[in-house]
Amino acid sequence: MNDEQLNKLFQAARAKPDTSRVEYGFETRLLARLRTDETPWFALAWKLVPVFVAVVVSLGAWNYAGTTDLPMAGNADDSTLAAYLTGGRL
Amino acid sequence: MHEPTDERLIQSTLAGDDEAFASLVRRYRARVFGIAGRFARGDHELDDLCQEIFIKTYRNLGKYRADAPFEHWLSRIAVRACYDLLRKTRRERGYLPLEGIDVVAAERGDGRAARELLDWALARVSPEERLVITLLEIEEKTVREIAGLTGWSESNVKVRAFRARQRLKEVLEASHER
Repeated sequence: MNDEQLNKLFQAARAKPDTSRVEYGFETRLLARLRTDETPWFALAWKLVPVFVAVVVSLGAWNYAGTTDLPMAGNADDSTLAAYLTGGRL
Repeated sequence: MHEPTDERLIQSTLAGDDEAFASLVRRYRARVFGIAGRFARGDHELDDLCQEIFIKTYRNLGKYRADAPFEHWLSRIAVRACYDLLRKTRRERGYLPLEGIDVVAAERGDGRAARELLDWALARVSPEERLVITLLEIEEKTVREIAGLTGWSESNVKVRAFRARQRLKEVLEASHER
């Protein structure tokens, strides 16, 4: 295909496509979509889910660390020692 | 009675008046449909694409600085949305069959057949090539206008246009061999 043929093809394809059918009622459809697309409060709540999860996990971890730091093991050891020293009578 | 200016309608839209935005849409609807109509396949895709363009416009209206006409700013959004569509649908477009397209009528100058043949050929070039050919050869924009619409430099537009033309010729020659 030479340049002349290609230019002829472009020229023939230049006529504007008829879009009147789609343009009909376009603003109404667009505004309706814009109104439904506006972010409602519960959508924001969903976006905050990762934050809530992070808070819960942090609290859980802090709680777990707190309980293991308690001298439970030490108390148990003391009880065992006391039981041994007192001949099993506590 | 004077029509409100674009700036006035934009201010009203930003203040929450959706009817002002509807007026802006009515004012530039034909312009946006004119651009999008070159890239969308069928009425449904065209409607979706134009809605996408105006929704992006609505959401970014606060960023519009009146240093260029609103129409230019809107056209840039439209061209970028069309380019995104071309990239997203590139694979599907490649399956468009040549059967049923009257190549002889297209080359004789029949508008509908010419558009169908060009659509088929443009589906076989890259999205950048398709965009530049459509804007330059079909929409008859200048190199400077295309640079403004796409964000590419003028020399980049020229290089891409030259390559796109060569590629399109190859594709159309291949269509003759079928």
